[in-house]
Amino acid sequence: MFDSIIDPTVSQANATEYDRLALAARPESLSGLRLGLLANTKRNAEQFLDEVGQLLAGQYGVLVVLAMKKPDITSTAPELTLAELGAECDVVVTGVGDCGSCSASAVADGILLEQAGTPAVALISDAFAVSADAMAELRGAPGYKYVRVQHPVANLTPDGVRSRAAQAVPAIVRLLTEPAMAVSA
Amino acid sequence: MTAPVTDPALQAKAAIEYCYQQGWTDGLPVVPATSADIEACLATTDLDAAVVIGSVAHLGRNVTVAQAAANAIMAGCRPEYFPVVLAAWQAVMQERASRGAWQSTSGPAPLIVVNGPVRARLEINSRGGVFGPGFRANMTIPRAIGLIVRNGFGVRPQQLEQATQGLPGRWSICLGENEEMSPWPPLSVVGGLRAGTDAVSAMLIRTCEYVDNRSTDSAEAVLHDFADSLARIGAYVGGPHSSGGLVLGPEHAQLLGNAGYSRSDVQEWLFEHSVRSRAEMVAAGKGDHAGTADDGERAFALMPAAADIPILVAGAANAAMSMVFRPFGWAAWSGTSVPIKYRAAKQTEH
Repeated sequence: MFDSIIDPTVSQANATEYDRLALAARPESLSGLRLGLLANTKRNAEQFLDEVGQLLAGQYGVLVVLAMKKPDITSTAPELTLAELGAECDVVVTGVGDCGSCSASAVADGILLEQAGTPAVALISDAFAVSADAMAELRGAPGYKYVRVQHPVANLTPDGVRSRAAQAVPAIVRLLTEPAMAVSA
Repeated sequence: MTAPVTDPALQAKAAIEYCYQQGWTDGLPVVPATSADIEACLATTDLDAAVVIGSVAHLGRNVTVAQAAANAIMAGCRPEYFPVVLAAWQAVMQERASRGAWQSTSGPAPLIVVNGPVRARLEINSRGGVFGPGFRANMTIPRAIGLIVRNGFGVRPQQLEQATQGLPGRWSICLGENEEMSPWPPLSVVGGLRAGTDAVSAMLIRTCEYVDNRSTDSAEAVLHDFADSLARIGAYVGGPHSSGGLVLGPEHAQLLGNAGYSRSDVQEWLFEHSVRSRAEMVAAGKGDHAGTADDGERAFALMPAAADIPILVAGAANAAMSMVFRPFGWAAWSGTSVPIKYRAAKQTEH
């Protein structure tokens, strides 16, 4: 009946249709693997990833070979940054998705790394799961799993960051080594 | 099977309901857009329907002129508003702050300012009740921006949009500047254009808060009052500074103008006086950037710089009140206004 009403959501220029994504193959163990860390500019993000790196090194024998920071919280990491992580690392942890746009973009970073063949885990504050899920759907990876970190992260003290990171580690390990499954930290 | 609805009023209601069901509205009814409406909008501009006027790379979304037209019509715009919508869109999108704005927990609103003769032509209000409601162009032009974000970029509340609280009137702030009662050049001149040019300037803002001061004829006393609000600690998010600007009511503007203050004099004064002591910042748990010296020695300046306190004039000259607004993020206004472009041969083509 309303065929003459224009659909305002459809644009011929909206041609970016992402293909359904297959995740990168998982290693059986993290021992001896090269780990890359990709932080955004949120408060405590670098400290959180640093703690995660130390714990994974101490408990699982990874080598932290690269710690990078992306310049813009809203967008995905620059291509060169992702390429370097893909080339230098066997697995990557990125985050912390602790705001509206950065949670979605952290998931997008993870998906881009997976697409290029590197297992990647995004750390997302649980308050932004809906936004993260929406981005995964949009990027052709509906159901893409990430580690949910208890919100908030930005106001934690160094001790708080340390304990929150420790809580997240088992889930990070599972997502990097087992086929995709729902995991909460 | 029921009989077809022939009553035009019932048909219109059904069409509006259909738009709701599609998820195309911001919660208020929209005007269903047809291809004839799109053509009417396109007739006002030299831009082709398929030209991309906005992109969000990380969402893989592009917005075209035709899509903007559909959303402008849905917002309630008349086709002759469309050049203003396009200029407003450009003005909003060129602001650095717009990159993270649509998905942000801050949920900022475009503040759209219109200068030039177009205000009279399209009845864009610049006087009493300028923040609305009550004036079609003022209400529908910013709503068009909101619908383009929703329907063009696909950013919807509680999904990709993560506003914690949002703010009242997020998609309804469009002001004509009251150039006629301002002691200073139009904002668009600050924005780099010649006076008399039809123009749009835009910022993303987090809120507006009034300053009511009808108690004094001292320019400095009124400036003190503004500085107190500009330096409100709650508006400071952390980082090197806060943000702030003023929509002066004509009475305050004229008080300052008559006392010999230029716009930049006002900005300088406000920059110097919008300060808090380190102790006050620490007491509110926001002392990270407020230095280490004792209280009073190194007062913390809340405004980024004098030139980064945008000031314009709007409203009626019937009471001495003004509005402080809060630019979103740390990027100050770009200081670049956008001229409104019309279709050169539009009259002869019909």
